[in-house]
Amino acid sequence: MANPAKPSEARLSHTAALILQALDAGFVYGFSIMEMTGLPSGTVYPAMRRLEQDGLIHSHWERQSIADEEQRPQRKYYKLTAAGKITLEASRRRYPLLERLIPNEEAKTV
Amino acid sequence: MKPSLNWDWAQRLLHFGLLRSASLMVPGTHREEWLREWRGELWHVQQACKPMGAVSGRGEREVTAFCLGAFQDAISFKPASSQRKILSIEMEGTASRCLLVLGAILVASYTVSLLLPGVRAEQSLWPRRVNPNLVLIQEDGYNNGSSPTISPTQFRSWSGRRQKYFDGFAFYTVTRETLGPGLESAGLQKVSASNAAWRVARASSNFFVLLGLPVEFAEPAVMAGGDLPKVILSETVWKREFSADPHVAGSTVRFGPRVVRIAGVAPDGSLGLPGRVDAWMLDSDADKESGGAGYVVAHLTAIGAAAMWASCVHITANEPDESQDDLMGVSLEEWRPAPRTLYLFAVFLALLSVPAVTSVSLGEYSPNPLRISWTRRLCLWSFLCAKILLLLPIVYFLSLDLAYGLTTIGRERASLLQLVSSFAIFLAGMWWVLKDQRQRCPVCIRCVAHPAQVGQASRTFLDWNGTEMMCMSGHTLLHVPCVPTSWFGTQRWLYLDPSWRFLFASSGAGWGMPDSPTFDRPLDPLGGNRWPH
Repeated sequence: MANPAKPSEARLSHTAALILQALDAGFVYGFSIMEMTGLPSGTVYPAMRRLEQDGLIHSHWERQSIADEEQRPQRKYYKLTAAGKITLEASRRRYPLLERLIPNEEAKTV
Repeated sequence: MKPSLNWDWAQRLLHFGLLRSASLMVPGTHREEWLREWRGELWHVQQACKPMGAVSGRGEREVTAFCLGAFQDAISFKPASSQRKILSIEMEGTASRCLLVLGAILVASYTVSLLLPGVRAEQSLWPRRVNPNLVLIQEDGYNNGSSPTISPTQFRSWSGRRQKYFDGFAFYTVTRETLGPGLESAGLQKVSASNAAWRVARASSNFFVLLGLPVEFAEPAVMAGGDLPKVILSETVWKREFSADPHVAGSTVRFGPRVVRIAGVAPDGSLGLPGRVDAWMLDSDADKESGGAGYVVAHLTAIGAAAMWASCVHITANEPDESQDDLMGVSLEEWRPAPRTLYLFAVFLALLSVPAVTSVSLGEYSPNPLRISWTRRLCLWSFLCAKILLLLPIVYFLSLDLAYGLTTIGRERASLLQLVSSFAIFLAGMWWVLKDQRQRCPVCIRCVAHPAQVGQASRTFLDWNGTEMMCMSGHTLLHVPCVPTSWFGTQRWLYLDPSWRFLFASSGAGWGMPDSPTFDRPLDPLGGNRWPH
């Protein structure tokens, strides 16, 4: 269960803000965020779990039929919550370079 | 193609094994889903790094590095915030938690001391002091007890006459006896080495009565008489050969052709008698059956005790042929400290040594705007006293466990080990107690946390350089100088005003919680960004 959040008070670390920015830019699973941010798996996945616990992102499994069709294992996708979006806005003000590192135009379809 | 395929499968197996191993650190209820996500991601990583199953060293390394990251994820994985998590954060660093841990250590060390037969025996065999006014009689000039000097004839001659200096005699000789293979009783199956040679003292039947030593684990029926000669085991042999079995009395052993019955256990060392003895065989005719010289123990009368000088008494004995012989009686009284005495002595020494290993100062306190009540201050001091009070029995039981847990080492070594271990454990314990106390917030008695190295080393020591820690409830800030200087010699507490409280959620798990890895530390309001990034 996610913690009730007061987004305006949140102060994210740069790593957490980077991951939120990547999610917002459309990189919606762990490996794509790794590729985009250059962060190792040992940083990205634990950070995403904490963000999910704090109610800033939420995850869902893709449908089994899609995975079967493409003959690959099922995948877990992440998405920003409303609180996450507000927090990301606050983080962008705090880290102005965030948007330049991962511009929203780089969003890719998955 | 074939070797390449095999290599590919070996790599896949390795990666899957890594993920599976890491998953073992994830709570069982979440393990399957956690593993499913990582396996799904691994497939994509493999596709990206090793397209079309190509063998690439760099690609393999990247995939392996990805899998190794799963360990970090598994270690830090915690189920979604629950009451338990909040409780564990609330308990972190509290005084009650510290006392609970100390209490648990105390219970554990006491339980171990109850389970170890050597420790049980040590506690049951005390106190053990020989009668006062006992002397070992030897020829004058042989007072180191290195060899027996009194013949059985001399002994019979003295013990038959009325003596001015003595009111009791006992005679013994030490021989080597080979333990026979035909061990008969159930208790003897524990004897580790048959055919072993024991040093057996053949002593007068009044030997232990004269010395005033209780025979431990003795059964009245065995001691009262019986068909077989009685043997009292030494404590060392009892521990070494019989694993300190308290039910050893009544068993029989065979010394060569002779079968004897074990009547009990005699404590080591405290006898102060010459010669290492493994067992005492009590025999009313010990002096008659002995062919060679032996040792004589005698009890002094009041006149004899008054004649003692420097633990010795000179005697002129009339021999059966009416000649006179110069003898020397050497006191048997020997100070052998009990475990409790050793422990108290070690604790006393350690207390004296504490200032040599750590500062006994608890730091300086800045003017307190909160005006802490005297009950708070009393709590802080009570907590320190409680820790020391818990430490004392912990040290006692741990030192007993260490010193007497092993039944194979002798009494002297065990005593030395107890002395050293008591000293070392108490000293280390006091070091920890003071260090812990110095890091306790004076308001809530919780440990300060989040150490941050601030400043930089300066040759002139004029720059501030040290570590700062903060109370998890936001009451205080602790400054610890890296190098004590004349203007900052010891740690200093700074009381924080209530404006800091907004940073510290009461549950410690919510927004702005400083120890949450997701969030940054707040900026230091005193000026400058002194927090680590």
